[in-house]
Amino acid sequence: MSKAVREGFQQAREHLRSLTTVGEILETAMAFEKAAETFYSGLVDKVSKPMRELVRELAEEETRHFQLFADLRARPDVEAHVKDRIARPAADHKFSNYVHLPELGENPDDQSLLQYALARETAAAEEYAELASTAPEGPIRELFLFLANEELEHKAELEKRYYELVHSGGV
Amino acid sequence: MSDVTPKYKGSVLRPLKALANLWREPATLPMEPRPAAPNYRGFHLNDWKLCIGCGTCQEICDNAAIRMVQIPDLPTDAKAGVKPRRPAIDYGRCCWCALCVDICPTGSLSLSREYIHVSSDIDSYFILPDEKGIHGLGFEKGWSKSETSDLLDHQRQEMECLPAEEALSGFGELVPGYDTQAAVLEASRCIQCGMCHEACPTGMNAPEYIRALWQGDREKAVAEIYRTNPLAQVCGRICTHACETACSVGRRGAPVAIRWLKRHAMDSVPPDQIREIAIAGKAEEPSGRRVSIIGAGPAGLTAAFDLAKKGHAVTIYEARSKPGGMMRFGIPEYRLPYHNLDADIDVIRASGVEILCNTAIGRDVSMAQIRGASDAVLISTGLWAARSARVPGTDHPRVLSAIRVLEAITQGEDFGVPRRAVVVGGGNVAFDVARSVARLQKARYGEVAMDVIALEDRDHMLADEEEVREAAGEGIDLFNSWGPKSIQINDGSIVALETVRCISLKDAEGRFHPKYDESTMVSHAADTVIEAIGQSADTSYLGKELVEALEWSRGRLKIDRAGRTSEPWLWAAGDMVEGPDVVHAIAAGHRAAASIDEVLAHMAVKPGNVA
Amino acid sequence: MRPENYKPVRHPPSHEYELYFGPNHPGIEGNYAIRVRLKGDVVQEAITDAGYLHRGFEKIMEERLWVQNVALVPRICVPDPVPMEESYARAVETLGGIEVPERAQWIRVLMLEMSRICAHLFTFGGNAATIGLYTNMFWGVTMRDLFLDIFEEITGARIYHMYITPGGVRRDLPDGVLDRLAAVLDELERKKPEFDDLFFENAVVINRATGVGVLTQAQALAWGVTGPNLRACGLAHDVRRDDPYLVYPALKFDIPTATSGCSLARMHVRRAEVEQSVRILRQVMERLRTVGGPVRAHLPNPLAWNVPAGEAYARTESSKGELAFFAVSNGGPKPWRIQVRGPSQMHGVQVLERILEGARIEDVAQIMFSLDACPPEIDR
Repeated sequence: MSKAVREGFQQAREHLRSLTTVGEILETAMAFEKAAETFYSGLVDKVSKPMRELVRELAEEETRHFQLFADLRARPDVEAHVKDRIARPAADHKFSNYVHLPELGENPDDQSLLQYALARETAAAEEYAELASTAPEGPIRELFLFLANEELEHKAELEKRYYELVHSGGV
Repeated sequence: MSDVTPKYKGSVLRPLKALANLWREPATLPMEPRPAAPNYRGFHLNDWKLCIGCGTCQEICDNAAIRMVQIPDLPTDAKAGVKPRRPAIDYGRCCWCALCVDICPTGSLSLSREYIHVSSDIDSYFILPDEKGIHGLGFEKGWSKSETSDLLDHQRQEMECLPAEEALSGFGELVPGYDTQAAVLEASRCIQCGMCHEACPTGMNAPEYIRALWQGDREKAVAEIYRTNPLAQVCGRICTHACETACSVGRRGAPVAIRWLKRHAMDSVPPDQIREIAIAGKAEEPSGRRVSIIGAGPAGLTAAFDLAKKGHAVTIYEARSKPGGMMRFGIPEYRLPYHNLDADIDVIRASGVEILCNTAIGRDVSMAQIRGASDAVLISTGLWAARSARVPGTDHPRVLSAIRVLEAITQGEDFGVPRRAVVVGGGNVAFDVARSVARLQKARYGEVAMDVIALEDRDHMLADEEEVREAAGEGIDLFNSWGPKSIQINDGSIVALETVRCISLKDAEGRFHPKYDESTMVSHAADTVIEAIGQSADTSYLGKELVEALEWSRGRLKIDRAGRTSEPWLWAAGDMVEGPDVVHAIAAGHRAAASIDEVLAHMAVKPGNVA
Repeated sequence: MRPENYKPVRHPPSHEYELYFGPNHPGIEGNYAIRVRLKGDVVQEAITDAGYLHRGFEKIMEERLWVQNVALVPRICVPDPVPMEESYARAVETLGGIEVPERAQWIRVLMLEMSRICAHLFTFGGNAATIGLYTNMFWGVTMRDLFLDIFEEITGARIYHMYITPGGVRRDLPDGVLDRLAAVLDELERKKPEFDDLFFENAVVINRATGVGVLTQAQALAWGVTGPNLRACGLAHDVRRDDPYLVYPALKFDIPTATSGCSLARMHVRRAEVEQSVRILRQVMERLRTVGGPVRAHLPNPLAWNVPAGEAYARTESSKGELAFFAVSNGGPKPWRIQVRGPSQMHGVQVLERILEGARIEDVAQIMFSLDACPPEIDR
């Protein structure tokens, strides 16, 4: 973790202490996805053409996640619970680190870009898993479990891309 | 010594002796067929799962009773050496000698204990045996594969190798090659099935040159080799030999040493003669078209040779001081001596190719200049940017990349020979760098202190088995199933590389996806870490404008099957588009050259191009 | 059935006439014929007519790989195929300088002697049948079948064994086969008095065969006769003893001879040879229980085996006499020339024609059978 990421981690922890309802958590999660999408979209024009496809794919993935959240938020069974207050573990709110996007530099290469994306997915997956463990039985827990799984799958796919890219010449 | 004379024992009563037979048991034989002996040579059985369709049974059949039949829907796998064919037997010709069984490389064929077939239908004597037998009755095997009856020669002619102590003392070539007798004997092991032909990326018809060597006709062998490979001195030494992986003889024994045979052919014909053979068939008239090639590696050199033979004027621009690319600056001299590489390049030069060394694009000449002066341009600039695991500490100056170290060794530059080094990586590059540096360590410090850590376990190493074995003999310690975790730095100097246990390497689909057990760690003391995990292409020399104009896919240049990019005047070939491998680069060079030649044929000759 | 090109001779009033024996005449062995000119019952002249079996073995062999010929050579003599395999293999081994492993040499002798017994049993049957004694024929063939069972077990085939190959034999003996062979030998010895009773002590045989078809030692030597036919003239010549091969020098056996050189003498020699073969087999079986090791020398891939250039002559004592293969290699993967010295060529053609002169018509088949010719050895 770079210094910038560590700093973001500290700030986010303070902020998240105040989040206590399911609705607010969903809002934050959506903001998290939105911020990433904006970040990747902004990067598209900065990186060289060979990498653009990758950045665009990452942005599209985040858009898909954002849309997923929006759809979930609108579902009546979730709607019924948005006001529920749930206990949150005090420590290690991983995904919140990335609400505040760390510096990736002006001209990141493909490897660092994937490393960054991987770290994000890991943090999000762990965060949702933690939320699921504290949420009461029912649709909200199911929701977080689903989201955790979604992020894990995405992370695994990115990991494979990462290893294929970096170890391509390992012969 | 006995002597027999006729004797007579007559008696009038003798015929009455026959009466004694009245009390004998009648000699009655059952009508059912008698079970055949366990070794019986009856109708054929063929295990289709084992059969690879090599057709060796057809070759050995002394009565031409076996014919290989194409079977639709059967799996075919050129890399593994599997053809979708199965033997069909004509029982009007078969003599049940079972030579087909004895020679079968897989052991799929056997003869059953079934021996009765009665029919007036002539077609019923022509069968495609499977594991159930001619009538599907499931008769058990009779004559089948046994150790003693096997007709194939499963043992490879041994290749000598420098003893480790001597090998470590310098960069002398490790293996001396076959002498003529060993080469002929090795060539005689080939069953001419052609699996290697289909497995070779360049489509090298190895059976042809192997047969020529066996017949003692080395010139013919060289001519056959040059049909698909102008870098045969190189490939005869360091090719990744997909041919040997597909070799049918390798199913139950050691595959034919196809690579060493190629080397023998090239080593045993004098250079002048090779040049003559190689250039035979060159177009007599210049075509009046110019092709520029960027990068004098295997792909570029191959394409240049092909195009020059077609009569095109070919110029290769090479940034480094000498041509050869990875073959010179990546592969250590003890595996590929420079003079052998030079010999191949001399032939390519002799075909009319001009190679401009020390000429980097963007520095000495611009892409636009090259484009303006050529009818077609091929880029084959390889994978020269090193990847790093980027674990903590990899930004330290004594974390080196394998490719830079190998390049420095070729150039004779001092990169600071480490006292204790760790190489990260399990491929051939990792072993190349480890063994090269070990030689320098031996020379400077009198001892080797070198660890190699690989993610792969011992049975799934990417590096060739001989590399791994020889490295061990040279005092290099290999640690399997470990991944880099961090580099420990004390007072600005590296002290160790921390590694974690790799518990699995691939996912269910077989994609590379290592998983670690973070709780198991090992520390390797070292003052230098050399990373040999991967390489990438640096295409910045193309210039922003061209990079933007070109189409890319997954970070690589997008090309069609022949290597043409989205720009109609530009082709790309070799490692930069296909991943690292010399013989694949050669194949790509051929494809690109063929495509360029075809396009040029339909192009008007630029005025002033004709010399 | 007469061949198309056969033109019957017009018989002059002197009662001279011509008979065509064969090729599928019940009294003639295999696929060759004899044209016999008779005056009354007495043969004036006999001319053998070979050629019904011409498959061109020697020529075909030039077109086949050295190893492929292993499947072809036993066909040159159906009743006694093993010496063919042995001679061919030994010729190739001589050319290639190949050492045959010891166990394989013992196994080969086992095969050779079994084959000799089979061939002689066959001939007993055939010979007896020519003088009307068919029980002998059935018994001989039945006894031979017991040996064929053993052949089948060892080689996978009853007749065309294709078992002896350059470098040794194709595979080792199956477990327990020696015990079963011992039982067959016991059975043969148990049956011996009955065979003797039926044939050698049979007044019909003795009266019909004694002094018939006599061949003198001088004639036999002059005409190149070998094998039992020569030994029945009193000369103890046997390749196994005079030019030993394989492990024969380590074996104890006698060379039976007779002096009268007539049909019955020849059959007596064969009978004694069967006894000697049994004696040899028992010694071989004894050794095979202790001698181990490989049964085939390591040879190159047969598809690309260049046998060194040169010539080799390998002779074997077959049931018919001195059987030899003369092999010439020009250093290629196929023989340049193979010549087969079939012993039947001598006694089946020249000798037969001579000794039939003056014989009575009823003895023609018997004389011919007592010489034990194998027509494919003539038609090679």
